[in-house]
Amino acid sequence: MTQPWTLCADLSANAKWAFTTRRVARSDAATILDDLDAVRAGDLVLGRVERVGSHRRIQLADGRGSELYAGDLVVLVCGDRYAPDQFEGAAELDPAGADMLAAGGVIGRMRHAHSRMGTPTCVVPLGLVADAARRVLNVEDYGLAPLPRPASLPVIGIVGASMNAGKTTAVAALAHGLGRAGYRVAAIKATGTGAFNDFHAYADAGAHVVSDFTDAGMASTYRQPLTRILAGIDTLLGDAAQRGAEIAVVELADGLLQAETAALLREPRMRGAFAGLVLAVPDAMGAVGGCVLLNDIGLAPDVLTGMVSCSPLATAEAEAATGVSVIAREALRDPAQARALAAPMLARAAGRTAADAAAGVDVAA
Amino acid sequence: MSPILTYRPAKGGNALACWLALPHTIAPDRPPLVAVHGILRGARDQAALLGRRAAAQGRVVVAPLFDETRWPGYQQVVRRGRADLALLALMTELRLTGLWQTPDFELAGYSGGAQFAHRFAMLYPNLVARLTTVSAGWYTFPDDTAFPYGVGSADGGKSDWGPRLAAGLDQFLELPITVAVGADDNQPDENTRRGPEIDHQQGIDRATRAQRWADALARAAAARRIAPRIDLRLLPGCDHDFRRCVELGELDRIVLPDSDLNPAVRGYAEARLAP
Repeated sequence: MTQPWTLCADLSANAKWAFTTRRVARSDAATILDDLDAVRAGDLVLGRVERVGSHRRIQLADGRGSELYAGDLVVLVCGDRYAPDQFEGAAELDPAGADMLAAGGVIGRMRHAHSRMGTPTCVVPLGLVADAARRVLNVEDYGLAPLPRPASLPVIGIVGASMNAGKTTAVAALAHGLGRAGYRVAAIKATGTGAFNDFHAYADAGAHVVSDFTDAGMASTYRQPLTRILAGIDTLLGDAAQRGAEIAVVELADGLLQAETAALLREPRMRGAFAGLVLAVPDAMGAVGGCVLLNDIGLAPDVLTGMVSCSPLATAEAEAATGVSVIAREALRDPAQARALAAPMLARAAGRTAADAAAGVDVAA
Repeated sequence: MSPILTYRPAKGGNALACWLALPHTIAPDRPPLVAVHGILRGARDQAALLGRRAAAQGRVVVAPLFDETRWPGYQQVVRRGRADLALLALMTELRLTGLWQTPDFELAGYSGGAQFAHRFAMLYPNLVARLTTVSAGWYTFPDDTAFPYGVGSADGGKSDWGPRLAAGLDQFLELPITVAVGADDNQPDENTRRGPEIDHQQGIDRATRAQRWADALARAAAARRIAPRIDLRLLPGCDHDFRRCVELGELDRIVLPDSDLNPAVRGYAEARLAP
C-alpha cells in the first residue's frame, strides 16, 4: 500500500533540485509517495545520495554545478539515457539504490557503461514527489503548452556523425555568427538528455532564445514516442517564433545511428522543417559515413563542420571524398561567413513558405 | 535646428571612433543613417553636412572613422582589420544606448566610403534598409568576376570572399539603392584605380562607372525576377567634392528623402531595362 509522507520541511531548501526540474513549480510539492513501481519517465523522484560514483556533481536548476556528498537529498527526474561514451539506462527505479544516469538530473537503471566509466552515483529513491492531491509531479505537466510549428521560421538542422563530433560547438558558433550579423537566433536542443552544458553554451553564444526538450516536457527524449518528440520540436519552434526569433538552429543529439535521430531524419515532418542541414563529423571517415547515411535517406548536408575542421589534412580528405565543403568553428562565428552560409537556406525557406501559402499547406498538420 | 555634433572616441583597441549628429528630438523608431567617409577620413563632414536634414527627421547620423592604421583598406570591407566587424560592434554598442530601436540602418558612403557601403550591404543586406553610394571610385559588380571586382570565386581558399557576397545577392538586389555621382566627376584622377580589366569592366571615370554599376544591378535584379529599386542620380555642377555634392547637388535630399516611395527609383530601372 502506498504510504504518503507529508513534507514537513521545505523541500526546496533541503534538497538539491536538478536542472531537469527547472520548470517545475516547487510549491506544488506537498507529499512523497513511496510506490516506486508506478514510476514513469518524467516523474520527480526524491532521493538520498548513497554513494558518490561517476557523477560527482549535480547540475542544479538554477544553473550552478554542485558537489555531491553522500547523504545529500536530491530531486531528480526518472528517465532514460543514451550516451555511448557514458551510460545507457532505462526509466526504472531500484528501491535499494538507483543510478544517477546524467549530471543534469536523470535517475534510472544503468544498463550499459563505457569502459572508462566507473559505477554510477547511487541514489536511494525515497519516493515520488506529489502534489496535495497526491498526483505525482511530472515534467510533462510543466512543459510549454503545445504550439504548431511556425511556417515562417527558417530552421537550420545540426546533426552529427557521432557523439562529440562538434554539434554543440557548431550550434553555438553559428548562433553567435548569425547574431552578430543582426539576426535574432533561437538555439534549440531538440533531443538528448537533460543537462545544462549545451543550454549554457547556446546562451553564452548570445542566442536570442535558448530552449531544449525539457521545455517541451521531457527530461530525456531517449525511447520517447516519435510523435511526442516531433510535437515537442514543433512547440519549441513555435515558442521561439513567439519570442521573436528569426532563425532557429536546431541540434539533434548523438549520432546518425542513434534510434531517435535516425527515425526523426526519416520523418517527413522533421525533414520538411529543415531549410538547411549541417553535419558535424569527427574526422574524414566520419564525413564519408555520415554523408552516405544521409544520402541513403535522401538528405545531403549543406556543409560539414566539427572536429574534422581542426585538421587541414582531414579537412582536405573529407572535402575530396564527399564533395561537401568543411567550415570551421571560427568561420561559423564570423558574421559575414555565417550569413553567407545561411543565405541560401533562408532563401529556400522563404520560397517554401511562399509555396506552402499558395498551396494552402498547414505545416503543423 | 542644427543637430548636436559630437565625437565618440574608440572604446578599446580594435574599436571604431565616430562622429555623431544627434537631433534635439530623436525619433527612435526611425533608422539611423550610417555615413561613411572617403579616403581623406572626413567623418566629421559626413555627420555635419548630413546631420541637419537627418535631425529634421528625428534621425541620428553615425559617421564612423576608419583610421588609416587599423583599417588601411576599409573600402574593401573584409581586408586587414575587418572594417565590417568594427562597424557591427559600433552599431551594437550605440543601439544599446537607446538612440534608435530599429534592427537595421540606412547606409550611405562617399567615394571610398561608397565602396565600403555597397560591399557591406552585399555582405549584410539584412541590416541595411536603404543604400546610397556617392562617387565611388569603383565597384564590386554582381557578376562572376573574382572579388573584389565581382562576386565570383578567386581561389576557393578561406579568404575567398566573392561567393560570400554572392550568397546575399538576391536580398541585396531587393534593397532600395541610389547610385549618385557628380555630373562633372567624369575624368579619372590620381586616386582612380586604373587598369585594362577594370577600365573595360567599369569605364575610366566615376560617372561612367556609377552608370555601369547601376545598370548591372538593374540587369542582375531582372535576371532574378526581382523588381529593381535602383536609381542613378547625376549631381549637377558637382565634381569630386563631398561638400559641393551636398550644397550644389542637394545630396542630403537624395540620401535622406522625404519618402521612401521615390517614383524615380522604379522609373530609372524600368527605363534602363526597356528594350
